[in-house]
Amino acid sequence: MSEDENENKHEIENKHEIENKSKSESKSEDTGEGEPHRLRRELPAEVAPEAADDADAPAGTKDPSLTGRQRLAKGLWPPRISRAQLIVAVLLFVLGLGLAIQVRSNSDSSALRGARQEDLVRILDELDDRTQRLGDEKQRLEGQRTELENSSDQAEEARKQTVERERQLGILAGTVAAQGPGITLTVSDRKGAVQADMLLDAIQELRAAGAEAIQVNDVRVVADTYLTDASGGGVSVDRHKISQPYVFKVIGKPQDLEPALNIPGGVVQTLEKEQATVTVARAQKIVVDALRPAKRPDYARSSSQ
Amino acid sequence: MIAVLGLVVGVVVGLFVRPEVPAVVEPYLPIAVVAALDAVFGGLRAMLDGIFDDKVFVVSFLSNVVVAALIVFLGDKLGVGAQLSTGVVVVLGIRIFSNAAAIRRHVFRA
Repeated sequence: MSEDENENKHEIENKHEIENKSKSESKSEDTGEGEPHRLRRELPAEVAPEAADDADAPAGTKDPSLTGRQRLAKGLWPPRISRAQLIVAVLLFVLGLGLAIQVRSNSDSSALRGARQEDLVRILDELDDRTQRLGDEKQRLEGQRTELENSSDQAEEARKQTVERERQLGILAGTVAAQGPGITLTVSDRKGAVQADMLLDAIQELRAAGAEAIQVNDVRVVADTYLTDASGGGVSVDRHKISQPYVFKVIGKPQDLEPALNIPGGVVQTLEKEQATVTVARAQKIVVDALRPAKRPDYARSSSQ
Repeated sequence: MIAVLGLVVGVVVGLFVRPEVPAVVEPYLPIAVVAALDAVFGGLRAMLDGIFDDKVFVVSFLSNVVVAALIVFLGDKLGVGAQLSTGVVVVLGIRIFSNAAAIRRHVFRA
């Protein structure tokens, strides 16, 4: 006898039950009392013993008058050590063991433990693909990083050069202070005989001798500096009126600048002819700190852009 | 009662002792567990029906487990292991549901 046969039997019983039910239903229809009768029919505790016969399982070693629920309760309590109980306990122990092991190994981090070989191969392939993809990506990103580092280095270099260039141009344009070796040319003109063109000659001579930054009194001399005779004596440089003594601070090579001023028939002699007192002093450190604002040209634009 | 105790003890032992399962048996364990569950539900139903027989239970339990494992083993050898184990689980699941329905009818009368 196997479990399946048992089930077959049960199915037959079920059929019986259904037939009985339908019979009882037809009966209840006959008698006219519907629900109460059927309810009584389905509550086996209240039915008569002969009705219980076809209601529940008749076969088996146990008392056929018991319902399934009663049998369950009887089996559960009080605990009896019988052969059947022990065998079932052993088998259920095995089941519980297998269940627990399986659940544990499934919830383990190593979900691969119970995996089939083909699945493992597939997973391994996927992992290999993934590794390769990630390796490629890493290489690409590293290349990008190197590129960016290089370009940032280049940008830094370019920035440095730009700053350096700006400084140089700032000295030329007079927007930054400058210092270095040079000379100081002082022209004292108590009689007011020195004209703007004489000072301009001096500036031109200094430029020709390689002066890099020039300041007259408090005015920086740059490319577009102009000098005019001021009304009421004195000279105005770029609309700033300056008066004597005129002090030229010049940065450049002193060995070139001084002889350039002192050549016969040159600036110094011309000025002295006007009875001005001219002194030229070399210095290792001349500070040209008169500034002028940076001016943005209105029309001219760099053609290199 | 002793049977229920056996189940509880089995689960506890499996959880705390952590016995090592041989690698050969491992792929068949889940299917075997499902098959055993089916046998247990069948046995419970038979008990409620009053036709429970321990010999039948033992034989059905063991044969269920062995046949289920065998089917999966065969499926693995044929290269349809995954599909076949799915099929076995479906069939056993249907049986468990029908048994559970019968048990429910007995216990709750509904």
